[in-house]
Amino acid sequence: MLKDIDEMLLTSEKKRENLIPILQRIQQRHAYLSPDAMKLVALHLGISSSEVYGVATFYNQFRFHPPGKHQIKVCLGTACHVVGGDIILENFERKLGIKDGETTPDREFSIERVACVGCCALAPVAVVDDVVQACMAPSKVEGILLGFDIERERDEREKQESEASQ
Amino acid sequence: MIKVNVDGRAIEVGEGQSLLAVCLQQGIFIPHLCFLEGMPESPASCRLCFVDIQGEPAPVASCKVPPWDGMVVRTDTERVRRLQKSALRLLLSVHHVDCRNCPSNKKCVLQDLAKFLGVPLKSKKLEHLQREIGVELDHPLFQFVPERCVLCEKCIAVCRQHNDFSLLTFAKRGFNTVVTCFEKDPDRLPCSDCRACVEICPVSAIFLKNEAAEACLDQPPPFPDSP
Amino acid sequence: MKQANSDVLERFRTLIRQARQTVQESKEPGKPHIYIGMATCGLAAGATETKQAFEETLAERGIEARIIPVGCIGHCYGEPLVVIENPGFPAICYHKVTAGKAGALVRAFLEEGDPLFEYVLGALEENDLIPTVMDFPRFNLERRVVMADCGALDPENIDQYLAGGGYESLLKALEMTPEEVIQEIIDSGLRGRGGAGFPTGRKWQAARSADGSRKTVICNADEGDPGAYMDRTILESNPHQLLEGLAVCAYAVEAENAVIYVRAEYPLAVKMIRRAIDQAGQAGLLGAHILGTRFSLSVSVFEGSGAFVCGEETALIQSLEGKRGMPQHRPPYPVHKGLWQQPTVINNVKTLSSVPTIVKKGAAWYRQIGTQSSPGTAIFSVVGKVVHPGLVEIPMGTTLGRLIFEICGGIPNRKKFKAVQIGGPSGGCLPESFMDTPVDFDSLTQAGAMMGSGGMVVMDEDSCLVNVARFFIDFTQNESCGKCTFCRIGTRHILNILERITKGEGKEGDLETLRELSQDIKTASLCGLGKTAPNPILTSLEYFREEYQAHIREKRCPAMMCRALTAFYIDLDKCARGCDACVGSCPVDAIFTTKGRKKAIDQELCVKCGECMVACPTEYDAVGKVSPSELAPVIERPQEKAS
Repeated sequence: MLKDIDEMLLTSEKKRENLIPILQRIQQRHAYLSPDAMKLVALHLGISSSEVYGVATFYNQFRFHPPGKHQIKVCLGTACHVVGGDIILENFERKLGIKDGETTPDREFSIERVACVGCCALAPVAVVDDVVQACMAPSKVEGILLGFDIERERDEREKQESEASQ
Repeated sequence: MIKVNVDGRAIEVGEGQSLLAVCLQQGIFIPHLCFLEGMPESPASCRLCFVDIQGEPAPVASCKVPPWDGMVVRTDTERVRRLQKSALRLLLSVHHVDCRNCPSNKKCVLQDLAKFLGVPLKSKKLEHLQREIGVELDHPLFQFVPERCVLCEKCIAVCRQHNDFSLLTFAKRGFNTVVTCFEKDPDRLPCSDCRACVEICPVSAIFLKNEAAEACLDQPPPFPDSP
Repeated sequence: MKQANSDVLERFRTLIRQARQTVQESKEPGKPHIYIGMATCGLAAGATETKQAFEETLAERGIEARIIPVGCIGHCYGEPLVVIENPGFPAICYHKVTAGKAGALVRAFLEEGDPLFEYVLGALEENDLIPTVMDFPRFNLERRVVMADCGALDPENIDQYLAGGGYESLLKALEMTPEEVIQEIIDSGLRGRGGAGFPTGRKWQAARSADGSRKTVICNADEGDPGAYMDRTILESNPHQLLEGLAVCAYAVEAENAVIYVRAEYPLAVKMIRRAIDQAGQAGLLGAHILGTRFSLSVSVFEGSGAFVCGEETALIQSLEGKRGMPQHRPPYPVHKGLWQQPTVINNVKTLSSVPTIVKKGAAWYRQIGTQSSPGTAIFSVVGKVVHPGLVEIPMGTTLGRLIFEICGGIPNRKKFKAVQIGGPSGGCLPESFMDTPVDFDSLTQAGAMMGSGGMVVMDEDSCLVNVARFFIDFTQNESCGKCTFCRIGTRHILNILERITKGEGKEGDLETLRELSQDIKTASLCGLGKTAPNPILTSLEYFREEYQAHIREKRCPAMMCRALTAFYIDLDKCARGCDACVGSCPVDAIFTTKGRKKAIDQELCVKCGECMVACPTEYDAVGKVSPSELAPVIERPQEKAS
């Protein structure tokens, strides 16, 4: 990972204003910002690693721990709030046994709350792996998670079958 | 020379300084916390140095106002004092008030301000709030006491002045903002003999660890308040 | 100095000619054309599946038709929206076109010529067969200036924009001097659509006359208000209009750099605007020597990393410089010292998108729309409890009542209107008595709300104003940058007090503390975020004080929204024996069977999600809600039989 970041940094100009785009690119490729990654960026831009850390912790977008395989973002914008977005969040939290901002121990799921994805007329809304799920309800929460369970079981079965056939 | 009238007193001032700096030099006290003499820009973040200027609809932060000729200023109007008291109460509501065990006792800016403005150190008006720190404060050289910190930014400013770039930073955001240092490797920190941040801190919220003992920090402060 | 000469004109004409030809050629006469709204809302409602169903059914039936993905027209209640141009018929708009309906439309309409009236929203042109959309107030009371082409164009195709008269305003501007352009904008009375309503022309003029060698124009598309999404829609549906406005602005203030600051949470918008910049660059409409003139403009996109406060212009600049997005004291204003201490104009998406039409049709034309002090149109995203939510563009001065009850169809389910929150977290909540208030910058500010981002949330009797005020302050205190004392600590105190109140732990004196703190925060905060954060509290305290008092004194939430003060129960007289509808719906197994084989709710386990109320068949309607929660009947769970 650090090697990849090193290579990536070679292509970006050593300008302070590139700090946020660089961090965005690192997170896009590696899903989060590790302490070492931030130190590399600081070295590249000639600023203190504290400054990189200070900037990164200011913005909601940046994560400092690896997220789950499936990312669930529950919208808690105004329109979603009025129709019970918090209930949807609670349902995800209860079903997965984690709180928002956390990742399940098996690293399958993480939950985040977001402040409006701009689909207010279809509230309440959740974004599951970059797909916007409109008009959520607790039963739909169960359906979505069940879908992942089935998918995982199928994958495992296929894996076993392919191993068996080899 | 620019002629300014402050609280009925005529003073003459040169250009290039803020109204707050000028008043302080003339011995006119205006409550302030984040203003640091000699720094190019004041962050204007503590919201204490309000004054009323004739012609302005609302009180203004005097650290950001250059004096102009004929300016008429009042530093002690009712609405100015109301805002200053309110700001101080807010700052105290997140401050760990435990003066007896604090090295800043009797030389503390918060104590001075509280006395000047007549605000009790432990206000009944507002509940005491505790921050979620959520940032790694453990550090080989520095000891941070965020429960005391008033986020005046002075330590960050002097560090930048001494080292060209700042080893200290604000981390996180909003209510949970803290001052911290990210570099954990003592060999890479030019901190051995620079104590600028420690010396500037008005509330003893930052130490070099080897000096922590004399600063009564054997034990982290109890929280919430012990009687 | 004017930039355009006959060469430039000729170049532009060639461009238009080519674009028209391409658009013409892409149309296949005699074949049906299917336009599908595929902006974020459409996609969320299932437009991808709809498109797929069209493609599959067309292939299956062997029908040749063209499918064209377009942007969003803002009628979110009807998504996925589809327009079908079938030869021999007027163009017809269909709403809520699910995959099943898509298949049916191909078979019935394209194959057999039956337009399936039951799915029709309206025809887009006058005809004898089908009522047109213009017969509905949701269409005919709107006045589209900025959003006129949203949903009618393929946003990924610059030719469509050019063929419809696009970039003519840029050409026209190049035929004028920068001073003339600025004068035109001043004369039009255009005010910044970012919220505060500062006159745009004066801002441009200040930046133009400011000293500096490297001026910049920034388009603020960091739309952070939870509940407003018009900027996203414009970026996704008509990005070239924005780029054209941006170019005119840059020409007027003599800037050679422009930045579009978009939220990273809007991936589709980022993609669309990037593509549009590339296309415009290739066509010679952006980049070095635009249309062969001496005017050059390089445009870049910066993705904001999720900080509401970066919508504040000084914080936005900090963020662009790679720093923490902390607002700075003003003055100096960005028009004098902005990005890299150089003069910088920051305009909102809607402001810049208004510019091309103003330049094209003239200031006098623009002034005919709207009011004397706020000319032009306003775009609102009306959401919450209304029949027809979505984006609405109306002339300034339209009354709130007309907007909510006529255009958006009023409150659904025969509920009563309670309040409307205007301007997002910085705005205020207004009760019914304000329905005659005209929507414009000054009237709204006077009422204690503000135009803000144009977010408008309509609330009915089931919405609790205390809860909504708590929601907004929760948002702002979460998004506070933490720099100044009042916003950092003050909003947190307000949140704590409101949280206590909504849990039934409010005290006498809380309201007084709330009011005093709110006023201090409003006066003493450093930036606009802090100064406006208490607005929802101050307005709701003023207009809905009894509701606060019911929470504090009676531990009762009149709207039954605060969950700690509300309980669900099952009316045993109405509950039907043997019906299990609610049991399966409960996510926490709180519903049990009583001795009389009816159902009851275990209040200890209940999380108050309301699913059982939805699940209970309407003929029984046995699930009820009470506040305070002690009023719910206590029914003991029968002892589990030992198994």
